[in-house]
Amino acid sequence: MADVVEDEEKWLAAGVAGLQQNAFYMHRALDSNNLRDALKYSAQMLSELRTSKLSPHKYYALYMRAFDELRKLEMFFKEEARRGCSIIDLYELVQHAGNILPRLYLLCTVGSVYIKSKEAPAKDVLKDLVEMCRGIQHPVRGLFLRSYLAQVSRDKLPDIGSEYEGDADTVMDAVEFVLQNFTEMNKLWVRMQHQGPAREKEKREKERSELRDLVGKNLHVLGQIEGVDLEMYKDVVLPRVLEQVVNCKDELAQYYLMDCIIQVFPDEYHLQTLDVLLGACPQLQPTVDIKTVLSRLMERLSNYAASSIDALPEFLQVEAFSKLNNAIGKVIEAQVDMPVLGVITLYSSLLTFTLHVHPDRLDYADQVLGACVKKLSGKEKLEDSKATKQIVSLLSAPLEKYNDIVIALKLSNYPCIMEYLDSETNKVMATVIIQSIMKNKTRISAADKVEALFELIKGLIKDLDGTVHDEVDEDDFKEEQNSVARLIQMLYNDDVEEMFKIICTVRKHILTGGPKRLPFTIPPLVFSSLKLVRQLQGQDENPFGEEESTTPKKIFQLLNQTVETLSNVPAPELALRLYLQCAEAANDCDLEPVAYEFFTQAYILYEEEISDSRAQVTAIHLIIGTLQRMHVFGVENRDTLTHKATGYSAKLLKKPDQCRAVYVCSHLFWVDDQENIKDGERVLLCLKRALRIANAAQQMANAARGSTGSVTLFVEILNKYLYFFEKGNPQITVAAVQSLIELITTEMQSDSSTPDPAADAFLASTLRYIEFQKQKGGAIGEKYDSIKV
Amino acid sequence: MPSRRRTLLKVIILGDSGVGKTSLMNQYVNKKFSNQYKATIGADFLTKEVQFEDRLFTLQIWDTAGQERFQSLGVAFYRGADCCVLVYDVNSMKSFDNLNNWREEFLIQASPSDPENFPFVVLGNKIDVDGGNSRVVSEKKARAWCASKGNIPYFETSAKEGINVEEAFQCIAKNALKTGEEEEIYLPDTIDVGTSSQPRSTGCEC
Ligand SMILES: Nc1nc2c(ncn2[C@@H]2O[C@H](COP(=O)(O)OP(=O)(O)OP(=O)(O)O)[C@@H](O)[C@H]2O)c(=O)[nH]1
Ligand SMILES: [Mg+2]
Repeated sequence: MADVVEDEEKWLAAGVAGLQQNAFYMHRALDSNNLRDALKYSAQMLSELRTSKLSPHKYYALYMRAFDELRKLEMFFKEEARRGCSIIDLYELVQHAGNILPRLYLLCTVGSVYIKSKEAPAKDVLKDLVEMCRGIQHPVRGLFLRSYLAQVSRDKLPDIGSEYEGDADTVMDAVEFVLQNFTEMNKLWVRMQHQGPAREKEKREKERSELRDLVGKNLHVLGQIEGVDLEMYKDVVLPRVLEQVVNCKDELAQYYLMDCIIQVFPDEYHLQTLDVLLGACPQLQPTVDIKTVLSRLMERLSNYAASSIDALPEFLQVEAFSKLNNAIGKVIEAQVDMPVLGVITLYSSLLTFTLHVHPDRLDYADQVLGACVKKLSGKEKLEDSKATKQIVSLLSAPLEKYNDIVIALKLSNYPCIMEYLDSETNKVMATVIIQSIMKNKTRISAADKVEALFELIKGLIKDLDGTVHDEVDEDDFKEEQNSVARLIQMLYNDDVEEMFKIICTVRKHILTGGPKRLPFTIPPLVFSSLKLVRQLQGQDENPFGEEESTTPKKIFQLLNQTVETLSNVPAPELALRLYLQCAEAANDCDLEPVAYEFFTQAYILYEEEISDSRAQVTAIHLIIGTLQRMHVFGVENRDTLTHKATGYSAKLLKKPDQCRAVYVCSHLFWVDDQENIKDGERVLLCLKRALRIANAAQQMANAARGSTGSVTLFVEILNKYLYFFEKGNPQITVAAVQSLIELITTEMQSDSSTPDPAADAFLASTLRYIEFQKQKGGAIGEKYDSIKV
Repeated sequence: MPSRRRTLLKVIILGDSGVGKTSLMNQYVNKKFSNQYKATIGADFLTKEVQFEDRLFTLQIWDTAGQERFQSLGVAFYRGADCCVLVYDVNSMKSFDNLNNWREEFLIQASPSDPENFPFVVLGNKIDVDGGNSRVVSEKKARAWCASKGNIPYFETSAKEGINVEEAFQCIAKNALKTGEEEEIYLPDTIDVGTSSQPRSTGCEC
């Protein structure tokens, strides 16, 4: 392979050298106005183009050098003509060149000057030239020669408004000339594949592909001819070009030329000739990549529609959508072996097209999706990763267009397509949907929409097709479920009845999620429900008490069942927190039995399910905190609950934990803003009990380490004493406070005590506080004054 | 050696698809503009006579395809260019960002003898669109880029309205003319190489 390249470089270098040498003598001849020598050397120079050893790229390099030299010759011819030399004679003269290829290059060069001189009608000269070029049947040489002709005649076509315009129908002459050159070039190009040994087919195809622009250039020239109006395009240009494309039966040519037609002619023309253009598609070879061709056509037309609103009526008038839709159907039918990817790509482009051109026609979009479903049905789930990617982009298109999932939810075929995604991709798509909702803050406020939405994103809501993928990355899973949680929080409607329906719908779906998902999805549902409760709380109870109307009681009932599902996970700590949240909400609704029920549930969990000691500590503090805030309970219920709470506290595993829980329980008996809960005696009992436990803790530490433990617990209890002292609890006397302080100081001074700077500082600042309160004066100051530190 | 007076100036127009290369050329050469988009395939040129300091020159203006798939034969026609025009659309950031690629690609492929000083001209086209409201590349930004690449002359144009097109091409012609790009001097083997007419070295003179 490397040898071939090297050889080629050598051939090119030799060609260039030969060319330069002859060019040199040609220049000399030009400088001395020696026409005969100029022709001689230029012909020799052009002989270098007779090589068959170069690939198209290299040949092009050589050709360009010859091309540049010919410009000088052309200028010389012009000067000659100006000096009175007959251009007709020149035209005759160059035909004496011995070799046909140089002869034709020279002829084209003189021909261009000939036309410019206007001594003969452009059309005659052009016709002559394009006919004569038939003399070269070697594909590469012929293609370059003809592209030379195309180039030198480029600005001399008898187009309307051109200085070479003749009397009548001259645009037609220009068109005929270009069409003829195009046809001949295409034939050369197509024939090339049949030449040479079969084993070099691949190389040949590559070379043909490199040459394609020489052929396509003609179409560009046609597109630039001003006189080619819609009518002429429709009647002459398009049919003639398509005839050539269809009849050449060559895959490469057909694919490339269709692409060219679409790109070089204006959009208006395409719209007005859609039937013809699309009609050619099923006639192409079955291997032609029509999907790309059509996709590009639709992309172009979409851009056109986007670029000017004036274009829209045109699209409607020619029924562009239904024509494209039909054409795609036919192509898919004709190309039985078209892979799914191709099908989806086509429909994606059509969808993009209709979303751009007919944003108001959701039925069109749905129709496209429906056609897709039809094509996909009967097939297993998609395995082809490119195809699934394409489906994701297909499904994302409406979201991106409307920025509103609610519109996509109206597309009945949307969920059907999602069925064909494997579960991984299904999840990706579901995530895309949720992100769209988040980004656009879409309000989804009706239960049936929520139902449809959850149907769409079910890949995230439950395990599909019964398989549990344990290879799923833990972080990814969390991320997914968190996004579902955020989504649940976003569903909202002011209307209580509708909101309740939404909650029930969400609940129905998330309960299918299994133990791994529930801990993520239950909390947002619970809080949504509680939000609804609070909303109702503000309203008066419906005096007519309609049976089916939503009441806090009804919601609490549902909540109770909802939280209960966590027991299967199990997630007792989370469930306990949620029960307590519910209890607090019930409290605010003055529903004592309901609140009591929630507490009971929390207690059962605490007793039966929470066994880890750290978890117990956290739980007991939550329980105490919540219970402290409850005001709905009557004496009896409250007693039962506080009794249990203090019981739990005293039974915690570690002494310090016990001690702290017990002194916190003191708050259950003395609540600032509740007149009936001011039981000083029981407060004192709690604190004394805490002191005893602190003592025991101290002794245990002593036994274990031979020194006393920290006095921190005592200082903490002292602070509780001070709190209740200040609040006016009669049981907390000056003497009690005083003796506690003394106790602590003695402890700290004992030889066996372990130095603990934190505890020292804590005590110091507590004492400073006492000092500070004394300074304050007034009732408080007086109170504190009696404490001697 | 008799020296032929240079009268042909070769100019290459590069830039992304749709920025208006063909439209600019058509406006300049034919004084015509069309709203329709017709992609260019391959490369070809139009010529225009220009008067400059009492001399007549032929500008050979090469229009190229911005779409890569329509440039299948490569860029052999860059050879011998006297000036390179880089066009972007002031309403498209991407087309501006790509100027760098176009410039570098040109320097690699055309390999001019003095790349540092090879004349480029930058055109920011379509300034008429939407009364300038959809513009995304500011003049300042464009000028800064031009300054950073060795003070490339810059014009804001509209091929549609014919704004600055004439001026831009005047400047293009002027720069093409003063470029150091001389034609390769070729001496055939059979001729004695005198000391006075050494082939010009392509590198620096030291
Ligand atoms: N409003 C406006 N439109 C322009 C201007 N210049 C070009 N256009 C339009 O932009 C589109 C593309 O212009 P072309 O000149 O074909 O672009 P190009 O750079 O040659 O594109 P390729 O040949 O694909 O590389 C056409 O629809 C033109 O009508 C301009 O200055 N103003
Ligand atoms: Mg163009």
